[in-house]
Amino acid sequence: MQNVIERILNLLAFLLTVDRPVSADEIRMTVAGYDQSNDEAFRRMFERDKDLLRHLGIPLDLKPTDVWEVEHGYVVPADEYALGDPGLDDEERAALWLAAQVVRIGGQAAGPDALFKLGGAPVGGAVEPLAADLGAESETLGDVFLAVSERRWVQFDYRGSRRTVAPYGLVHRRGHWYLVGPERAQIDRIKVFRVERAGELTLGERTDAFERPADFRASDAIPQAPWEAGADDLVADVVFDAELAWWARRQLTGRVEAKEGADGELRASIPVANREAFIAWMLSFDDKAEIVGPPELRAALVTRVEEGS
Amino acid sequence: MSSPKTARRLTRLLSMLPWVIANPGATVDEVCERFDYTPRQLAADLNLVFVCGLPGYGPGDLMVAYIDDDEVVVEMADYFSSAVRLSAPEALTLLAAGMAVMSSGQAPEALKSGVGKLQRLLLPESEEALVVDIAEPELVGTLRDSAAAGQVVRLVYRALSSDATTERDIEPWTVFSTMGNWYVSAHCRLAQDERVFRVDRIQNAELTGGTFDPPAEPPPPVVSYSPGVDDVTATLRLGPAAQWITDYYPVDELSSNDDSTVVRFSASDPRVIARLLLRLGAAAELIEGEEVASAAADLKRRILTRYDAR
Repeated sequence: MQNVIERILNLLAFLLTVDRPVSADEIRMTVAGYDQSNDEAFRRMFERDKDLLRHLGIPLDLKPTDVWEVEHGYVVPADEYALGDPGLDDEERAALWLAAQVVRIGGQAAGPDALFKLGGAPVGGAVEPLAADLGAESETLGDVFLAVSERRWVQFDYRGSRRTVAPYGLVHRRGHWYLVGPERAQIDRIKVFRVERAGELTLGERTDAFERPADFRASDAIPQAPWEAGADDLVADVVFDAELAWWARRQLTGRVEAKEGADGELRASIPVANREAFIAWMLSFDDKAEIVGPPELRAALVTRVEEGS
Repeated sequence: MSSPKTARRLTRLLSMLPWVIANPGATVDEVCERFDYTPRQLAADLNLVFVCGLPGYGPGDLMVAYIDDDEVVVEMADYFSSAVRLSAPEALTLLAAGMAVMSSGQAPEALKSGVGKLQRLLLPESEEALVVDIAEPELVGTLRDSAAAGQVVRLVYRALSSDATTERDIEPWTVFSTMGNWYVSAHCRLAQDERVFRVDRIQNAELTGGTFDPPAEPPPPVVSYSPGVDDVTATLRLGPAAQWITDYYPVDELSSNDDSTVVRFSASDPRVIARLLLRLGAAAELIEGEEVASAAADLKRRILTRYDAR
């Protein structure tokens, strides 16, 4: 391990100061640690080291060494290497560190690496008795986040077709991660994609490749309740029996008018934008709730139940 | 790929150098506390730095790094005066963690200002682009407080599986959120065993006045379902619109083609599967499972009766 670390420190010191693309051959001849290996050993060692650098978040670009573009060399652009200073104080760093320990993504807690980069923090102290797992695995999510922050197009497979999307935002709500943004073919229509269903995700090369509308707010794109997302436009009149009124009330959002009856039942008028999702939710109450109207929605629930095997 | 240990050591080293360069006169204790070093590890890393530098590798080319009395000294290393930028997963994980704690409504001021600064750095001009929402249902606060204080709580709980409402005393251990739901893990005095309760299914929670000694190491906060001997099983054919079931429930996939997936589903109560079947409508078909079939028929009859549809 010691050898690897020495070699990487030497390589980085060289690339950060040389200010021009450097070919693999020149690295082999110049940088201490590579000099004693044969061709094949050098190639393997250098590949491993490049992987390691990228894993650490260090940008390593391949650029032509001259205008004829015959030979290519490696560059670590100093301005891309460096972390901008967010100006955190120690108290803020400690608070972030505590938060990172109680929140996991896909079962993984954040390691201390990010905090070290930000200047370290006196660690330790009692961990808050909160634990949350934000689901999904961080690799794809990291790529989506990169695309959002650098405004790069993304392509992915979704429900049987390949999509090209401008990722305006990334939202975690109701236990899932959603990518929010329009497809290239329909740039005016903002859509919502579940990140875990996006396959074979790739990022466009170009940064700042699209404009995000000034009034875009990712949180508006994903409704609080599943039946609030869609193209339907109905208001459902519903009654919940007293036995489950408490559970219904807890799930209704602010836009709903609800009134308690004398015997404890709850009557509510609920705006519905997605009738499939709404019916699914109503069925979670078994026969302890009923759609009173409109008749078409009532009939749709009955049809669904009759079709159920 | 080199080992994760090497990567971690390099990250720490490349983070420590800029901090020491920016804070001349820093002591060994300060550096150790901040970067989670033992004095011995710190000395080892400084010794490595001391033999590295620029080509030529003579006295004027190598970095200078040593411990002088109690002070950490780094010189001739200006090219390492900036820390390495955050990788995308690192940036997201840290920011999302901070925002999750904020959305749960328990964030100290320092976290709010820290998250704000990170957002401005990582998402300049698009601070509205990342949203993390794990809003807490009511009762989470009460349960968390009683877990911390070792207070016994009396629950009125409606089980998702059987629809039975029970009253039970629990010794709450941990309150946690996963897959969009909040749970409390506890010792249940009624069941005399460890149980996990979904918080939104708790109708009411109040302190009994009793206390308990929390376990030294409460089990990890996970919702796990392991099939028991009394479980019912059913075999279902899922159409394309019902494929998501395989992401949500611990099912065994028996076969799969473009049009459908056949799964075996286990649950402690047939009503769990029956309710799901009705909800899926034509998108799913029950192939095998008598108990589930009769539970589904019963549920279907009750709902259709209510809707005067038969």
